[in-house]
Amino acid sequence: MTALRLPDDQPTPSARTVAPRIGARAVCEALVREGATTIFGYPGGTVLPIYDVLREFPLRHILVRHEQGGAHAADGFSRATGGVGVAIATSGPGAINLVTGLATAMMDSVPMVAITGNVPRALLGKDAFQETDIVGIALPVTKHATVVMDPDEVPLAVAEAFEIARSGRPGPVLLDFPKDVLQLETSAPHPEPYELRLPGLLRPVRGDVPEADELAELIARAERPLILAGHGVQIADATDLLRQVAERSEVPVAHTLLGIGNMDETHRLSAGYAGMHGWMHVNKAIQQCDLLIGIGCRYDDRITGKTSTFAPRATIVHVDVDRSEIGKNVRTDLGIVADAGDLLAALLNRLPQSAPRSAWLEQIAEWRVVSEARSWHGSGAWREGRLSADYVVDRIGEATNHAATLVSDVGQNQMWAARYFGFRKPFHHLSSGGLGTMGYAVPAAMGAALGAPERETWAVVGDGGFQMTMQELATLVQDQIPVRIAVLNNHRLGMIRQWQEIIYDENYHSAELLGPDLVRLCEAYGIPAWRATKPDEVDAVIAEARRAPGPALIDFHLDEAQNVYPMMLPGKGLSDMVEGGAE
Amino acid sequence: MMATAPRRQTVPAGEPDAEHRRHVVSALVVDRPGTLNRVSGLLRARSFNIESLTVGTTHEPGKSRMTIAIRGDDGHLRQVLAQLERVIDVLEVHDLTTVPHVELELALVELEPPDGGDGEARLRAALDAAGGELITPADGSWRARLTATPTEIDRALEALRPLGLRRLVRAGAVAMTTTAQTTSTENGDPSA
Repeated sequence: MTALRLPDDQPTPSARTVAPRIGARAVCEALVREGATTIFGYPGGTVLPIYDVLREFPLRHILVRHEQGGAHAADGFSRATGGVGVAIATSGPGAINLVTGLATAMMDSVPMVAITGNVPRALLGKDAFQETDIVGIALPVTKHATVVMDPDEVPLAVAEAFEIARSGRPGPVLLDFPKDVLQLETSAPHPEPYELRLPGLLRPVRGDVPEADELAELIARAERPLILAGHGVQIADATDLLRQVAERSEVPVAHTLLGIGNMDETHRLSAGYAGMHGWMHVNKAIQQCDLLIGIGCRYDDRITGKTSTFAPRATIVHVDVDRSEIGKNVRTDLGIVADAGDLLAALLNRLPQSAPRSAWLEQIAEWRVVSEARSWHGSGAWREGRLSADYVVDRIGEATNHAATLVSDVGQNQMWAARYFGFRKPFHHLSSGGLGTMGYAVPAAMGAALGAPERETWAVVGDGGFQMTMQELATLVQDQIPVRIAVLNNHRLGMIRQWQEIIYDENYHSAELLGPDLVRLCEAYGIPAWRATKPDEVDAVIAEARRAPGPALIDFHLDEAQNVYPMMLPGKGLSDMVEGGAE
Repeated sequence: MMATAPRRQTVPAGEPDAEHRRHVVSALVVDRPGTLNRVSGLLRARSFNIESLTVGTTHEPGKSRMTIAIRGDDGHLRQVLAQLERVIDVLEVHDLTTVPHVELELALVELEPPDGGDGEARLRAALDAAGGELITPADGSWRARLTATPTEIDRALEALRPLGLRRLVRAGAVAMTTTAQTTSTENGDPSA
């Protein structure tokens, strides 16, 4: 077998050999060596060689009910553990079913390795049964995708896939294996780290960040500074450093959706959740601050709204490990390409202990009182005796002492979870922030529960998203995965209904959603389930669900007209939010 | 030059640059199936229309050089180049427009045979202006190759068109910096 031509400044592959084994065994061996323990897959003709040898390896295989579920589960596993989740699918439809999960992971910088089978090399390009160009399909939604055409390349390809997935700005990697590559023998050993051929992989410059001098000066001069901390802080495992920098500099910290958990929300310097459905006091702080320090965030449209009116009084700083993010969305006065942890450590070394910024913090606290009071009412909780979503999420937070992993879906449920759970720690909030993938919550919670079994895992999901991937209920039962599912059931596509009410003049179309009787559905699956329709039933059913040894579900029948407020309308800015309900 | 760009950056606010200046981008890539797909796919996803794109081997085995001529808003392009830099099989990306460089293109043309008079002289003059040279005139056809900057070739073609331009094949621009080579530390790859 000939190796790929290598750039000449790269080390040549090892001359070492090991006892020959087939490609499928080399794949499993490589997964184990890269630290995989649990993989999510669905068998099919072209990956059967892997399933034939899987028993020989210390890999727990979770048989999902649809490959999209497998991809989301691998993603959930990664996010909850900080590791690299693995999904397996067969060629053709199996591989294509992974795509939504790959794109979800890509948008949120989640490391993940997807392994697909393909038709034997001799049949590639001949429209063979279940053949598809999955590498071509996956290119725009992965950090890297490639086909492994040579059994001798298998160990190296898998090792490189993991390295690509977790280095720098993480992301999903897809490896496609023609079936015969899995069946033929190879003596190639697992590579040593120095044998990886990744000259084009962007690795952040590590260590001190001299540019922190300039940032430290800006902080010293600022009167109303604000940090906007995103997912990158958790990816860099730098939440402690963030808190220390905030305390040293007396700068309050706002967070993005995926930045939830960067700071304990009860910390005196935690401003809270910003953006389209963020807290008014946080958005006001962004609009009034004179220095905005974005760390590991993308300044995406759900945070900024209209960029020309975003943070108009602020010197805008953007720190990101990915150069292409700097200046992509907002004007940037100081952009620093660095790992969030390195930057925060560099700042901490430079910052003197700041005097309390009493006036600024009191101003935000004042806004917060108004914002919280108004928003709670605005959310619909005032409706006598009717069940509101914010109340349900709040009670789950209280019952679990805010220590559960909470996986939200997309839409109103996602915003209620973000606003009302009360997060304390990193890696406890999982959500499809960038892609907004409905159907994410249940399968991702499955992966999260297996990755972090020491924590209780809750999926908070609307009745729309639940019906998109509810086939994974069977997986939860088969493997007794203890996910508690809270369906925020308003018999509506709630966010659609909300947009149609506010933006489309109450012209409701396709927002009403028929669903099954979820309690009876769960009965059919053998999953204990409860229904709650009134506020005074909520605590009891949550307690029951927490006692279940395996999966459990609660069907919360909500006030169907409840909206999430505040809300930034399309094309508007952060200063121009709709606050409903409280007038 | 993206690969050696400083860590510190300032990106001012501003309306998109309506001018859509022409840029010549040089990318050093790993010579592997799919690399071209990745590069062109990224440009397509950002709605850039590629004026020309050439790929060829380099003095280093296993590495190819792409020269991409493209029109676009400066800021938009800078951002897409930073995205190109992220592609695993892309080793380096340089916008040559910002540095001294030489740019050349090859074009093959087939012309109507001159019908006496000063036709042939005018034709040869047009060719000369763009470094052109007649090839295979023996079979009675008039074919020529032009090697010049894309702008010079454009001008030569304007002159040749009224004399009878039957066919045209352009190779696309290739370009090379004319300053001392810089060393890229960004990728841990000293072979820039």
